[in-house]
Amino acid sequence: MFKVFKNLYNYRELLKTNVKKEIRGKYKNSFLGVLWSFLNPLLQIAVYAIVFPLILKNTQENYVIFLCCGLIPWTFFSTAISRSSFTMVENGNILKKVYFPREILPISVVTSEAVNFLISTIIILAFVLFSGLGITKYVLLYPIVFLAQYLLLLAISFVVSSICVYVRDLQHFIGIFLQLLFYATPIVYAADTIPTEFAWILKLNPMTYVINGYRDIFYNQTMPDVTSLLILIGAVIVAIVVGYIIFNKLQKGFAEEL
Amino acid sequence: MRLRMKEEKEPEYNIIVDDVYKTFNVYLDKANTIKEKLLFLFSRNRKEKREVLKGINVKIKKGEVVALIGTNGSGKSTLLKLLTKIIYPNKGKIETEGKLTSLLELGAGFHPDFSGRENIYFNASIFGLTRKEIDERLEDIIEFSELRDYIDNPVRTYSSGMYMRLAFSVAINVDADILLIDEILSVGDEHFQNKCFDKMLELKEQGKTMVFVTHSMGSVRKLCDRTIWLCEGKIKMDGNTNEVVDEYIKATS
Repeated sequence: MFKVFKNLYNYRELLKTNVKKEIRGKYKNSFLGVLWSFLNPLLQIAVYAIVFPLILKNTQENYVIFLCCGLIPWTFFSTAISRSSFTMVENGNILKKVYFPREILPISVVTSEAVNFLISTIIILAFVLFSGLGITKYVLLYPIVFLAQYLLLLAISFVVSSICVYVRDLQHFIGIFLQLLFYATPIVYAADTIPTEFAWILKLNPMTYVINGYRDIFYNQTMPDVTSLLILIGAVIVAIVVGYIIFNKLQKGFAEEL
Repeated sequence: MRLRMKEEKEPEYNIIVDDVYKTFNVYLDKANTIKEKLLFLFSRNRKEKREVLKGINVKIKKGEVVALIGTNGSGKSTLLKLLTKIIYPNKGKIETEGKLTSLLELGAGFHPDFSGRENIYFNASIFGLTRKEIDERLEDIIEFSELRDYIDNPVRTYSSGMYMRLAFSVAINVDADILLIDEILSVGDEHFQNKCFDKMLELKEQGKTMVFVTHSMGSVRKLCDRTIWLCEGKIKMDGNTNEVVDEYIKATS
């Protein structure tokens, strides 16, 4: 266990360069460059903010902010997972040639998306400020929600990235599954507005707690449900350990399978 | 069992290869998708097992310079790959002690659009160096590669020789305890080859453990104290370089 951390620590420079490369590489060759980190979520919010009020009979007040708090964390979640599913295949060339701790790859995917997410958080803050809602002391709990989401993604990323080496189909399933999960997560609607017979789906979905957390902080401006967040973090840490064990088993065959 | 445990604890060995078997699945048609995997359940004979290493036992002491020789397909490169932990054995155990650098595939992770300098940083970080360590070595690396005039040009503008020179300079300056080297002495022109050779001798004197894979018997004799002859996945002979090389030449010519 200790060895795992020590090994990662020794390769911290690789982790750093990898994260930097992924952030820089994302918008490379595009005219607007890093501006897209803002424009992308903004335009996405614009689309949803126009479409969903037309479909849903009654939406929340301040719907744009409501949407922001769900959509931006969701984008972090879904891009991190779908990019995890490709990362091993993309880096197959290096994996076959040199040794480095393989977990660097999923970790740097999740971390670079986390950096993107932190930048996008500015959008949420901007909306909250300009709409007159303002920022409350609950903002101090933002790191806890963020940590819960980051750890959750690490756990998923370990499993997804390693299994996708062996079963390439999974990449496509994941795309579809994420689309489905989008509607099973309270992003465009509030968690308490859905029929009770479907409530268990939201209860099982870890992203429900994460998005509710962000929403309580920025939108409802109430105390987030810290107990369930701490339980989530606890569960997620167990998931990381299990995910890492799976990853470690599977990574031994990477060079031969790729 | 107890005896073996005791041996592994001994610090003087840098590399211990303990009864290692490696089998490759050679897929005649590779099933990557679930559909294919399901279909392949019903049709057999789609893959062959090829045993590449059959019970290898090697112990290499600290500071030893060892050559692995053998004909193509005898398992030399596979053994090196196992030592670097790119692949893992099916049976047996491999233990290495200390920082290990492999010069198997030079320039892995070089990005053609980045400059030589940036690639030094990236390549060296793959070898596990920290920013500070790379900063310290940067001058030596540039100096050794003799590419000072081109170091800020993108690597894609390099000739293949220049590319290899840069890659080799990074790998050799990592300052590892164990160096694994696969057919390296064919880098660049004759001048650079000689330079590499001298560097190897220098590293040998510094007490680095080195394992070579090569077909050049001349450099084996000059550089290595011990030679291991692999034949069809087994060790045919292991001992003093000149004796083993003489036998090998007798057998293959």
